[in-house]
Amino acid sequence: MTSPLLPGDRPTPRSLLPVPLLTAVLAAVAVTAVVLLGPESARGPLAAAGVTAALLLCAAVTVAAHAVLSARAARGRLEAVTQDVGRLLQERTRLAEDLAAERDRRTEQHDAATARLARELAEERARLTDDHAAELKRLTEEHAARTDRLTQEHTEEQARLSGERDRLAQDRDRLVAEGARLAARLREANNARAAALSATANAAGRMQALSTGMLADLRAMEDKHHDEEVLADLLHLDHRTAQAGRLADSVAVLTGARSGRRWARPIGMESILRGAMGRINGYQRVRAHSTSDIAVAGHAAEGVMHALAELLDNAANFSPPTAEVHVYVEEVPAGVIVSVEDSGLVMGEAQLRRAERAVSGESTGLGGLTGTRLGLTVVGRLARRYGLRISYRPSARGGTGVLMLVPQDILVSPDAPRPPAADATTTTAAPPVTAAPPVTATPAFPTATPAPSTSPADEIPAATASEPSALRLPRRRGTLPADEPARPTDGVEPETRHAASYDTAPAERGATPSATSRPAPAPGHSYAASRAGADDLDPDPVPTHESPARGTDASLLSLPRRRRGRTLAEAERTRSAGRTAVQRPAPTAEETKARTARFSSFRQAVRATTPDDTTAEAAADAGTTAGTSGTTPDQTSEPRTTEPRTTPMTPEGDTTS
Amino acid sequence: MSRPGRDDAPDRLYTLTQGRSRSGPDNPFDLVTLVVAECDPVPGMQSEHAAILRLTGRPAAVVEIAAELELPVSITRILLSDLLAAGRVSARHPRKAAVPDPDILEQVLVGLRNL
Repeated sequence: MTSPLLPGDRPTPRSLLPVPLLTAVLAAVAVTAVVLLGPESARGPLAAAGVTAALLLCAAVTVAAHAVLSARAARGRLEAVTQDVGRLLQERTRLAEDLAAERDRRTEQHDAATARLARELAEERARLTDDHAAELKRLTEEHAARTDRLTQEHTEEQARLSGERDRLAQDRDRLVAEGARLAARLREANNARAAALSATANAAGRMQALSTGMLADLRAMEDKHHDEEVLADLLHLDHRTAQAGRLADSVAVLTGARSGRRWARPIGMESILRGAMGRINGYQRVRAHSTSDIAVAGHAAEGVMHALAELLDNAANFSPPTAEVHVYVEEVPAGVIVSVEDSGLVMGEAQLRRAERAVSGESTGLGGLTGTRLGLTVVGRLARRYGLRISYRPSARGGTGVLMLVPQDILVSPDAPRPPAADATTTTAAPPVTAAPPVTATPAFPTATPAPSTSPADEIPAATASEPSALRLPRRRGTLPADEPARPTDGVEPETRHAASYDTAPAERGATPSATSRPAPAPGHSYAASRAGADDLDPDPVPTHESPARGTDASLLSLPRRRRGRTLAEAERTRSAGRTAVQRPAPTAEETKARTARFSSFRQAVRATTPDDTTAEAAADAGTTAGTSGTTPDQTSEPRTTEPRTTPMTPEGDTTS
Repeated sequence: MSRPGRDDAPDRLYTLTQGRSRSGPDNPFDLVTLVVAECDPVPGMQSEHAAILRLTGRPAAVVEIAAELELPVSITRILLSDLLAAGRVSARHPRKAAVPDPDILEQVLVGLRNL
């Protein structure tokens, strides 16, 4: 009952039904027989017991039948299962056999493959080993050969390089020597160039001074000689001298020296144009058209004139000899434009560029200068110095036009306060210019150089120390008033007027190197020497006297003042004459001592700056001028308190008087 | 134009006269010729011409003009002849009677010597 039964295994109620029915029938018969056979009294219970027993029997028979059927079904199933197990076992056996066979086969295959591969491996390895050996051998041989070759080459190269190194070392030594030699030569050349420049500048300065002096002389002679023939000759000489002066100015500009003279007052545009015209050869072909009354400041007038003269000279030289050169002046807000128009050659593009570059003043070197083409370079220098702007353009006249813009800052408007405004104050401040007798009687060119050693210090106070203008800005000392009474005689007049008109701008003069590098000459040098030395550095033809009446002892502590164009010793001399004239009281001994010490220290300080060249130059100049200054040596011993004399006619004093 | 110094102007004499140094043979000016301006200075004129015209507003002698301009007489004469040719000035010679008597001159000479 516990075993699982398939539905078919369980006996169906229909298959069990005949058994109980048969049993029931039999039992019913038996019970009926028993009942019928038994006593009548016992029938009732007997029937009941018989029916019960019959029922029990039927049930037992049913159960038994059912059990039999179930056992039969279970047996059938057991047999089927047993058959399945047997089949499965057979299957398993067959599979095991197959597996064994397969394993054997695979094992054989594997062995065969292993053997084959081992054989191939051995062969390959042998082959590779052979190859390797061969290659190794070849490479070894090659390496050896290459090493040999390289070693050989290396040796050769080393030898070659060693030789090269020796050669280079020699070259280096040679080049070092060459460099040292070249450096020395460069230094020498630079020194020589500087010396040459300096000498040229110095010579140009002398030439300027000479030409300026000659121009003044010629002007004096032109006033003196009334013969027209003589005047014509003098004018001719004047013209030539002016051109020589321009050349000297050019050299001075190119060598960086001081340019020309400095005018003490603004120069009007007409005078600028005529001054420029007067310095060129073909001035008669120049037509100036100027209605402007503006003026150029005195310090720049010479430069503007010079630049304009060079431009005019170019225009005149590069135009036909009969063509005119026209100069126009036009005032513009930026200044004044001076245009020079010629009808000559038209400049080519390259020429124009070169000219523009030259006049721009950008290249300050002297390289590329030729002896005949100084002009534009000079113009460039001047333009750079004074801020002029120069440009070229084709001229409407067919030639070349040059525009020169003079900037506003060096122009002076004509209605600006002019120096004559200062004349009145100065004239009143120093009234005795012509009234005092010592003026005309003072030796204009004293030739004695006493160099006092005992009491020079009391002369140190500046001659103009008592003037109210002594501390003011430099200004024009003033021309004489027009209504000046009793003009001195002809021989003295121009000099006193010179003194009044030229004696300007001491501070400006003091700023120039000549003022500091020109100390008092050593004792014993003649006036001619000091005068000539002063002229070297001072192109201005400046008269050398002033009114000694200004000299008072107002300020004993101020340094001596040197006027334009004269030396310190001369200033002292002149002052000493004035001092004698006004009869100053003699200083006490202490004062004299202190002043002497002060003055000698001052002189040493001044002389220590340039002791060599000034004295040597002065001596040289003394030698050169000794022949002409015949009266000079005689008067060196003359006491400085000599009687006031009339102006002697000094030999070279003509340059300024 | 004032010339306070000997060489106080940069313009040379020959530039004043465009290089002429002698006047023509028909120059009517001598030292004492009186010159009278015929017109006023105009702008653009050479400054010496303008100065001469200003000076000769009243009659002035050539030598006066030269002294005022501080120019040599020859140069002044050339400038004056330029102005005369342009009709800007006129020249007038002093009358012959203005020439002093030789006796007076001699007396003056004696007087000067006695000074």
